Amino acid sequence: MVQNNPYRPIETKVLDVITETPTIKTVQLRPKEEIAFKTGQFIELTVPGFGEAPFTPSSRPWIKDMMEVTVMKVGKVTEKIHELKKGDTVGLRGPFGNGYPLETFIGKEVLIVGGGCGFAPIRSLMYEFFNRSNDFKKLFFRGGCKTPKDFLYKNETAEWVRRDDINVVLTVDEGDGSWKGKVGLVTTILDGIDMDYKSGYAIVCGPPIMMKFATGKLLSMGFRDENIYLSMERNMSCGIGKCGHCRIGPYYVCKDGPVFQYSTIKLFPDIWD
Amino acid sequence: MQFITVNNLHALLKNLGKDYEVFVPVKRGQNLIYKRYRAESDQGGFSPDIPVIGEVRAFDPLKAFFSRARERVADGFSADLPRTLPKPLCIVGAKACDLKGFKVQDFVFMEGDFKDPFYIRAREENIVIAADCTCAIDTCFCLAVGVNPYPTEGFDINLSEVSSGFIVEPGSDKGRTIVEKYSGLFGEASDAHMSERDRRRKKVAAEVKNGIQKIGVPSQDQFEGIIQSNFDSEIWKEEAESCVECGACNTVCPTCHCFLLYDQKDKGAMERLRVWDSCMIKDFALVAAGVNPRPSLWMRLRNRFEKKFDFFPKLANVYACTGCGRCVSACPAKIDIRKVLQRLVKDGAKQPV
Repeated sequence: MVQNNPYRPIETKVLDVITETPTIKTVQLRPKEEIAFKTGQFIELTVPGFGEAPFTPSSRPWIKDMMEVTVMKVGKVTEKIHELKKGDTVGLRGPFGNGYPLETFIGKEVLIVGGGCGFAPIRSLMYEFFNRSNDFKKLFFRGGCKTPKDFLYKNETAEWVRRDDINVVLTVDEGDGSWKGKVGLVTTILDGIDMDYKSGYAIVCGPPIMMKFATGKLLSMGFRDENIYLSMERNMSCGIGKCGHCRIGPYYVCKDGPVFQYSTIKLFPDIWD
Repeated sequence: MQFITVNNLHALLKNLGKDYEVFVPVKRGQNLIYKRYRAESDQGGFSPDIPVIGEVRAFDPLKAFFSRARERVADGFSADLPRTLPKPLCIVGAKACDLKGFKVQDFVFMEGDFKDPFYIRAREENIVIAADCTCAIDTCFCLAVGVNPYPTEGFDINLSEVSSGFIVEPGSDKGRTIVEKYSGLFGEASDAHMSERDRRRKKVAAEVKNGIQKIGVPSQDQFEGIIQSNFDSEIWKEEAESCVECGACNTVCPTCHCFLLYDQKDKGAMERLRVWDSCMIKDFALVAAGVNPRPSLWMRLRNRFEKKFDFFPKLANVYACTGCGRCVSACPAKIDIRKVLQRLVKDGAKQPV
């Protein structure tokens, strides 16, 4: 009997490695077996012999034989990922978790708020939105980074600004000579958005501290708890709701998330840590 | 119900040794630990350990034979399931508290969209020959968490010690098959045997009850809401003060299941291990970027109790404590789950949920 082994990684070729910023690279991957994922789901990327780490793919979900993950160098495994070269072999497991509930947003006004590395899942989400942008009433994106050098996907974000099916404002915490846009935290560019906050939806993805303040701001603007969707970051190891590391209250982030409505998790004390 | 003499039980274990790796509890100092069953003296002339079928639970939790402390779960990218043991296991002398652990472990590893094929294989292939407790020790509190000191479910065969042998109760098809296969070793249990079993069971239950009363362990009927109502209590800080973060409580607990996937290179190829982990250790929930949802020891202690007395009752309809008392005896800081529960129930009752 062939038994499915959820711990086994699928052999995967590195097609290309793109340097996004001094600390962030995007790795283009071709798994030997096709992997279909929903935008917002995550995968575990194995560097053989060194370990694996969870990432939300940043690429087009409907492309099954190629996947991109964008990786910030923060630890042991991500350091090894940054050393990868075209032609190297890695492993993939997944996809895991729920992903973004796209159907919920149909016919609605949707505000996407992103910060730093949070642009990675958002890029994948943007591909889905742009693919069928007529399905949504209005789309807004408010994104921020530390400095202009820290923007991911510079060419693509520049293209988002030019599109007429989404309203985009970008900001940086600290400008430089070249930066012509807004300066300030992402929370400072959330005012005055031409949408009905009470019936609108918000999707927030970024570092925990940014998610905390952005959510607070959205609530004060009038967004409903249940209409705010957060991408939670936890220490997902198994990805299948067994190893216990990513539990929040009665939920496992790997299985019941990583995308949660704020109303679901707001009562748990440590969601922003 | 069948009956087996001590000599015939040895013959049975010897026979089972052909198909299974047989483990029995043997005495080491004050504790019982599991050792491979040997029928004869070894080459050095040392006589075999005497299996202790009765008494109380061994030091090693039964889970160690099902989700083992360290198990190879992937060889590189190979689709074949690694097999690390030559034969399935036969575990003898498991007690009722350990069998309750299966309710939690089965829920974790066998339910949901993804299942653990290694645990499932062990559950399918291994056999459990359980046994009644024949005494209680001062850490036993099974009756407080809904467990009798004698197995009523979750075994393949149960042995109840009576004078001159054991009453044999098959509890599964696997157990019945074994009893049929070796039918020559069994006789019929008499009415006298059965009433002796009842007498002995009552005696041990009374011992456990005495221990519970002496310490004042609350019953699980009083556990509902104790985590929420005490969430911001000082209890956690006070109880965690002496904790040395060794993780022994997790290791010996029959319901603790958390693990880490650990990759290493083996002769150039990759192997992935599933290794027991401990939620009391600082890095347990640490995220790569450096964020730690539970940086303080008291938060981790609270988290451990939340998992057992809030998470599992909500999701699997079971309090994830079996009353085995292993964590009480293993803790070098003398943190006593019975006393923590007592405080939670007492303080929780003061402030309505």
